[in-house]
Amino acid sequence: MPAQAPDVWVYDSVRTPRGRGKDNGSLYTTRPVRLLSGALDGLKARTGLAADAVDDLVIGCVTQVSDQGACIARTAALLSGFGQHLPGVTLNRFCGSGLEAINHAAAMVGSGLHDLVLAGGVESMSRVPMGSDGGALFDSDLVLEVGIVPQGISADLLATLRGITREDADRFAAESQRRAAAAMAAGAFSRSILPVIDQNGLVVLATDELPRPETTAEKLAKLNPSFAMMGEQFGLDALTRKVYPQVERVNHIHHAGNSSGIVDGAAVALIGHREAGERHGLKPRARIRAVATVGDEPVLMLAGPMPATERALKKAGMSIGDIDLFEVNEAFAAVPLAFMQHFGLDDSRVNVNGGAIALGHPLGATGAMLLGTALDALEDRGLSTALITLCIGGGMGVATIIERV
Amino acid sequence: MATETLPVSAPGVTVTFDPEDGVAVVTLALPGKVNKINPAFGAALAAGLDAAFGAKGLKGVILASGHKDFCVGADIDVVYASRDPKEILAVVGQLNAGYRRIETSGKPVVAALTGSALGGGYELALACHHRIALDSPKVLVGLPEVNLGLIPGAGGTQRLPYLLGLQEAVQHIAQAQPVRAPKAVKAGLIDALAPDRDALFAAARAWIAANPSPKQPWDTRTPLPGGVQPGTEAARTLAVGAAAFLFSKTAGCYPAAEAALRCVFEGTRLSFERGLEIESRAFAKLATSDQAKDMIRTLWFGKNAADKQEGLPQTADARFTKVAILGAGMMGGGLAFLATKAGLEVVVRDIREEALQAARARVEEQAGKLRHLSAQERAELVGRVTFTLDLEPLRGADLVIEAVVENLKVKHQVIREVEPLLAEGAVFASNTSAIPITRLAEAAVNKDRFIGLHFFSPVEKMPLLEVIQPGFTSEDTLARCLSFGRAIGKTCVVVNDGYGFFTTRLFAAYLLEGCQLVAEGHDPVLVEWAARSLGMVMSPLKVFDEVTLTLGMHAFTTREAVLGEKLDLAGLELVRAVVAAGRTGKAAGAGFYDYEHPRRIWPGLKDLVKAETPAETGVAHLQRRLMLAQLAELGRVLDDGVLRKAIDADVGAILGLGFAPNTGGPLSWADRQGLPQLVAEMDTMAARYGARYAPSATYRKMAAEGARFHEGP
Repeated sequence: MPAQAPDVWVYDSVRTPRGRGKDNGSLYTTRPVRLLSGALDGLKARTGLAADAVDDLVIGCVTQVSDQGACIARTAALLSGFGQHLPGVTLNRFCGSGLEAINHAAAMVGSGLHDLVLAGGVESMSRVPMGSDGGALFDSDLVLEVGIVPQGISADLLATLRGITREDADRFAAESQRRAAAAMAAGAFSRSILPVIDQNGLVVLATDELPRPETTAEKLAKLNPSFAMMGEQFGLDALTRKVYPQVERVNHIHHAGNSSGIVDGAAVALIGHREAGERHGLKPRARIRAVATVGDEPVLMLAGPMPATERALKKAGMSIGDIDLFEVNEAFAAVPLAFMQHFGLDDSRVNVNGGAIALGHPLGATGAMLLGTALDALEDRGLSTALITLCIGGGMGVATIIERV
Repeated sequence: MATETLPVSAPGVTVTFDPEDGVAVVTLALPGKVNKINPAFGAALAAGLDAAFGAKGLKGVILASGHKDFCVGADIDVVYASRDPKEILAVVGQLNAGYRRIETSGKPVVAALTGSALGGGYELALACHHRIALDSPKVLVGLPEVNLGLIPGAGGTQRLPYLLGLQEAVQHIAQAQPVRAPKAVKAGLIDALAPDRDALFAAARAWIAANPSPKQPWDTRTPLPGGVQPGTEAARTLAVGAAAFLFSKTAGCYPAAEAALRCVFEGTRLSFERGLEIESRAFAKLATSDQAKDMIRTLWFGKNAADKQEGLPQTADARFTKVAILGAGMMGGGLAFLATKAGLEVVVRDIREEALQAARARVEEQAGKLRHLSAQERAELVGRVTFTLDLEPLRGADLVIEAVVENLKVKHQVIREVEPLLAEGAVFASNTSAIPITRLAEAAVNKDRFIGLHFFSPVEKMPLLEVIQPGFTSEDTLARCLSFGRAIGKTCVVVNDGYGFFTTRLFAAYLLEGCQLVAEGHDPVLVEWAARSLGMVMSPLKVFDEVTLTLGMHAFTTREAVLGEKLDLAGLELVRAVVAAGRTGKAAGAGFYDYEHPRRIWPGLKDLVKAETPAETGVAHLQRRLMLAQLAELGRVLDDGVLRKAIDADVGAILGLGFAPNTGGPLSWADRQGLPQLVAEMDTMAARYGARYAPSATYRKMAAEGARFHEGP
């Protein structure tokens, strides 16, 4: 164990393409454990790591039942080339799980307790439906005592409080599609994406399949808001008044076209300290400058990226202007829009390759995917620093600042 | 072999046994007129079951009542007195054990509902294997506990879902409205109806013969009706939806309704007996809470006493046969309906034909809703009402209720016109909402038979009748009017005379404070929410819109004219400005609110407000302002000697004005704050926001003496 807290390096990052998270999606026939073991194998091949070189595998996964129950991290390790040598732990910080896994690994390495840790996430939303794991988060106790509402209502509440309009959201969504299409055409994701292959070695899916490049704001304007009926007729809007009594009416602006898409996918990154990397002949791509998690107001739920970002910047001794690129998860259009509004950012540095509205949000994997997306984008543009942040159910936020080396 | 009477070891119960069919009939008739659940009831039930279950050759038991009602529920005195959760848990624990014994006896037990079964009484019926009721609208069943800040405490939340399904069970318990037997059988609350007592017992015997060893669905884990099963994802979704819907209606003011929901969804997931624990804990928490005490005091003891007209002059015969109603507005039509429904001959007089037609339509519409009457009976009911433009048909009336425009001159003229036409000994009543009866009576000859009967709109629904008895009104006149009030189903509160009496003064203070707060620059959305989250049934701007702003302003003008005192408040100015903008209220489709869907505060309202948002604002602040402004006015009402009893203020405010029922009424609320604290806060507010907040002499005196309005837990 080094005498001083070591620097934490990101050596590599890979992901599967994102498949539509429905029974017509390409990855529906691939079990999530295979999505993850495939990513592990891909990373092992790229780095040339020995099976016993890695101390641990930390995997974010939200809906840990059925195909994703029973510690999918260890299960996937056993099916991968790392085999019995790679232990595994699965964590759940809702939508922040993938980035949380990276941050956990960073903490393990940064403490000097571990040398090399694999971290990432997996979610097959087509096979394990969101919310099918039960739990006490969204039940009558929380609803009555805390005022927890479904995320869509929270997103519409965020928009209402920040004065974000339906037009703003639709415009943002169309731009996400445009950017994703442009990025795919330019091969911006090709360094990270490893195709999913079947037992015959044939490709199941090689590129993200959700984007609809033909999307325009005008077309989106025709969609009905998804949460209006739930909010207005079933009384869910009224719950928000416990905390936001000033909101007479929630403005329901979100719909399927300006919210994140439901997809399947997995991602893994290799985190380690310099000495360990040198020992294994690895070339670092970036350094983790700071991480932060915050607990925030749970009814609004989705405003966590702002305080998480502020906390991470403070820890890194940086200001918002020191960050070259931002990846703010597009759970709902209002989230990045509120983020830009809050920090006074224009969209030229935010989600430059599109986001989850176009590409999809495989819950537990997204944070790890965004790390890779940010790293690729920095390298493509010759820039230095990026901040990745996600809003999280239950009113949390997570952020990670990376710097190329 | 003849039916034999079995010996029992406790009073209040008889048991007969027919060796022929092996059926024992346990008849509960506790001393007094009703069966209510207390230790004596528990002993009688246990003794009756001991005797019945000990009978040789027993095939089954019929549980019946020797009183009019089956069982009207728990003895509220026991619950009201206790502040000890352990004590409450012991009480419900015993009750649950007794009920459990019935349903796990192995023998069929049938509840014979020859009368109403409410609360714990209905829970007793639920613990029987089968429920048969008399086919009569007078037989009520259900679980009204939530009305008193409680939940069913003897298994109601755990058993009812097996009869109705999760959602329906929550709805029934949260809405707390007992159901008439014919409807209850359709809803599933009871299993069968019988046309008379003999048929009921015959049906019970037949059911026992056909079901020799029944088990309860909760003991066999039979799937619940409605499709959604406890503990499933569908149940979770349903629970969340139900919780949200409940909150949207109650604004979080009713923990009992919330607890009922939680007990239903949480308890039914567990084994039945452990589910009872979930319910018992919640019941103990609620039963020992301030809210339950305050709601019970006002809405049970207070309202019952008012309904019985305790301490008031009574007469068996009101000696009214023909009622004249002057003024055929909404109120006149509604009153005509209530009077004819009570069997009286009615004449409605107005000077405008359209008004008469509207009143007739209202009577017909209301009569049409009486589905338990035959078409002919409904036609007769409408036929008893005469609508006229003339004075002559009023001749011979022995009760007049004038509901003409709120104008002293007009009312005087009407009194002079009509009084000479009346029958010997007739009573003249005014439905004025504010003008002192003493002023009105200036035009009357027979002042001893002149009285104020202040009804609330819509009169068919609003349960209160505020009776105003000035010194000159005789006790006999009061007694006759109280008898009339009871006959038309009203809860009466008797007050002394004075401008606005009691209710109108409190109501005006509420409306005015709502407007005043907006005029001071507070966000109207927050003002409205502050009221709703206090539990006020209607928020001030919304109710002002419903009253219509012009009518409200007319009342304030009348007040100035009658009292010769000017109200100089920015809030009043604001109302004038809203009216000047062509917005007169809900009827006009525009007032403080815009009524296009979705209804929302008129965005232009803020442009009429001159003040900036004050530094001190927010829901908590506005709640104190709304409450203290009302309490301060109520204090002056007390100083003026208008109220006769403190409980009248609480019963009257809740039933007449929709004052937050969750508080038990304004004086119960004042007691909870502590009068010294309240007086200090009023002094501070008077200095800061105006003299209308000043604490009255009554409050000061009581605070200094450490007195309270209500004794009790």
